[in-house]
Amino acid sequence: MSAQNIPGAAMGKEGERKAMRPSNGLTRRDFLRITGAGLAGASLFGLAGCGQERGGGVAGGDVWKQFKGTTLQFISENTPPTSAIAANLKPFKDRTGIDVKITQMELGALVEKVALDFGAGEGQYQVIYADPYQVLAPYYQGLAELNTFNEDDSLPSIPKDTGDFIPTQLDAAGKFESEEELYALPYDAPTMIWMYRKDLFEKYGDQMRQDLGFDPTPSDSSTWDQYYQIAKWFNDNANEVKYGTGHQAKQYDSLMCDFSNILWVYGGDYFENGVEVGRLGSEDPGPALLDQPKALEAAEFYNKLLSIAHPGSTTWDWNGVDEAFRAGELAMTPNWHEFAAGIEASDLSGKVGYARLPTGPARAADMYGGTGIGINSGAPEDEQRAAWLFVVWATSPQTQRMGLFSEEGGGTPTRQSVYEIPEVEQAKKRPSEAPNMLTADAVSKAWEPQNIGLRPKIQQWNECDTIIFTELSKMLAGDKSPEQAMKYAKAGFDRATGAA
Amino acid sequence: MSAARTDKGRGLNRLLVPSFGVRMMLPALLLLASLSIFPFLFIVWMSFNEVSPIGGLSFEFVGLENWVNLFADPDVRSSWMISGIYFVATVGLEMILGIAIALLVHEIVWGKNLAISLLLMPMFIAPVIVGLLGRFLVDPTYGLYAWVLDVTGLFTGNVLGSQGAALAAVILMDVWEWTPLITIIVLAGLSSMPQEIFEAAMVDGANYWQRLRHMVMPFISGVVIVALLIRSMDAIRFFDIIFITTNGGPADSTKIIPIRLYETAFRFFELGYAAAIGLGMLAFSILIANLFLRILAREGLAR
Repeated sequence: MSAQNIPGAAMGKEGERKAMRPSNGLTRRDFLRITGAGLAGASLFGLAGCGQERGGGVAGGDVWKQFKGTTLQFISENTPPTSAIAANLKPFKDRTGIDVKITQMELGALVEKVALDFGAGEGQYQVIYADPYQVLAPYYQGLAELNTFNEDDSLPSIPKDTGDFIPTQLDAAGKFESEEELYALPYDAPTMIWMYRKDLFEKYGDQMRQDLGFDPTPSDSSTWDQYYQIAKWFNDNANEVKYGTGHQAKQYDSLMCDFSNILWVYGGDYFENGVEVGRLGSEDPGPALLDQPKALEAAEFYNKLLSIAHPGSTTWDWNGVDEAFRAGELAMTPNWHEFAAGIEASDLSGKVGYARLPTGPARAADMYGGTGIGINSGAPEDEQRAAWLFVVWATSPQTQRMGLFSEEGGGTPTRQSVYEIPEVEQAKKRPSEAPNMLTADAVSKAWEPQNIGLRPKIQQWNECDTIIFTELSKMLAGDKSPEQAMKYAKAGFDRATGAA
Repeated sequence: MSAARTDKGRGLNRLLVPSFGVRMMLPALLLLASLSIFPFLFIVWMSFNEVSPIGGLSFEFVGLENWVNLFADPDVRSSWMISGIYFVATVGLEMILGIAIALLVHEIVWGKNLAISLLLMPMFIAPVIVGLLGRFLVDPTYGLYAWVLDVTGLFTGNVLGSQGAALAAVILMDVWEWTPLITIIVLAGLSSMPQEIFEAAMVDGANYWQRLRHMVMPFISGVVIVALLIRSMDAIRFFDIIFITTNGGPADSTKIIPIRLYETAFRFFELGYAAAIGLGMLAFSILIANLFLRILAREGLAR
């Protein structure tokens, strides 16, 4: 199927689209080189070409037009790709005749609405931003299995097939427990990386090298222990910033994200076989491992690291730490890579470097926070099929490219082919029209199977998440020792998952 | 015989066909039932079940398990304790400040309306915006209050990141927003006081404090209790400011019972247990309301 699934150049007319298909003699790279320049125009003049069209199904009709007049409701977290899509829906409307109403909100509110919609069986939202941990894992039964649509002759299939998606993202964002069943297509891919003041590292590099006895320049071999020493050095020696490091350690989901990076690199994990519980998920993850020595070691290090971090850390989520970093208060911070767009638009433009997070004694780990979009199985069948057209379009290479360069956007492509477009390659260097691409080298390595950090994809994750960030918050506040916090967290996890 | 049958028929008819008055009230009763009574009964039923939307809405009867948990759960107990501190502090401060400001404003001769308009402004801001404003003002990066506290040496830590300071901060945000409500209610009471008896007291040589203690306070005690009742009901279900500022942290130090309820219902989706917590809050609200109504009745003010 993948050999036939080509993105086309989105010309708006079927004949033109067919004419754009590459002959067998062209490689994918050749094809992309030829069509790349036309992509910008393509996304302006109508998407089409977002999916492979097949002959059967709609007798004498256009598969993209068969649901003309339908109105779809898309519920999404307020994320850059959705903002970009919301601002550029016209090509989809022109091509399909389908109206899409987009409701954007904070993730917690989204989960609440989606859960109630699934519970009531209303099918009010046909297209759902399916966070792997808060929507997909607990409510995968409420999502339609997407292979059914992809294999339906009367519907367009996924351009370039699912193989074009970054494999770890497809597994993490799209599947639950089964390798075969697919519930969502990767839609966004925020990933935690190391953001650092390149200007300060250049200015103080020699001095730090001399004082610390190692090269402080962030690299794939940098460790968290070195990160701690660098942060402390900045606290003591540099006047340009108030603190060496700042963290998203508010009693919130962000604290779990920040800590998990450390937990994994020290060889700890939430559950036995944690990598698979993160990749495919599990309905029965077994007892938690948070009371194990490696988890305890990680908690002790995290407590130590936060003791020298900016004191504001315990009130910041990812937005707070980003604001502090952009305000010049911090020399470095671990944060989601999509904040690069804002940083490059601020006074720090050109002064910041992006690297993978430091490693630890056991492995490297960069927390992945990506999400897929899926279809509500409670919606009427025709609406589900119309929703499929939108899902295919919204995750197509053209739309991802459009989102990347959109003024509204700043999202990150989840397809490998988009990174091969020359214009996107170009954006990896300054001056960049898509500043998020400045992080591409860091995140592409972070998405490799051995590096990606995947939190447990389990049905009780919301509760477990709350337990771990609450216990960590108590630890950081000095109410509990790392050992007590991990012990309580383990007991809470086991109670939540039924392993107690 | 036929007369007896007729009487019996009338009685049956009276039972089956509601009177004119009942028929007139029926639409309103049905509306009230659909909006309040049925949901209430449903929540009571939920509290005896394990209700989960995961994999489709499911009910499993668990008897008193949720209610036992409600009293045995140390986290819920801790939230009730924080709620208690929060309740006493916010309502207490709002009453003291509200009455004091009302007494001052009542004495203003020139520009009184302007002063009242300015005073009322916080009340017209949505609580979630008050939370955002508060968060910005005490943010360690760019917060004005954080900076003032720091340079004056009054508090050098991180306001929303320290346990005691975070609770104090959210209490003060609520006090800032709702003290004007107390002020305006008390001002209404002060405005309706007959001036003649005050003038007579002044002629008799009563000073300000004597007049305040023996005349003003007894006169406005009714409206003060009403204000107390309104703010108490609000304080029990306080949610927005904490949700937007601290989310219950740090270390659960601001996790009052409504935040715990929200978390149980809409993060963990343990809807049965959440129903029990919610009913617990309702019982507490009714208790407080009854207490104040009894005081009003005792004072002969519940008219």
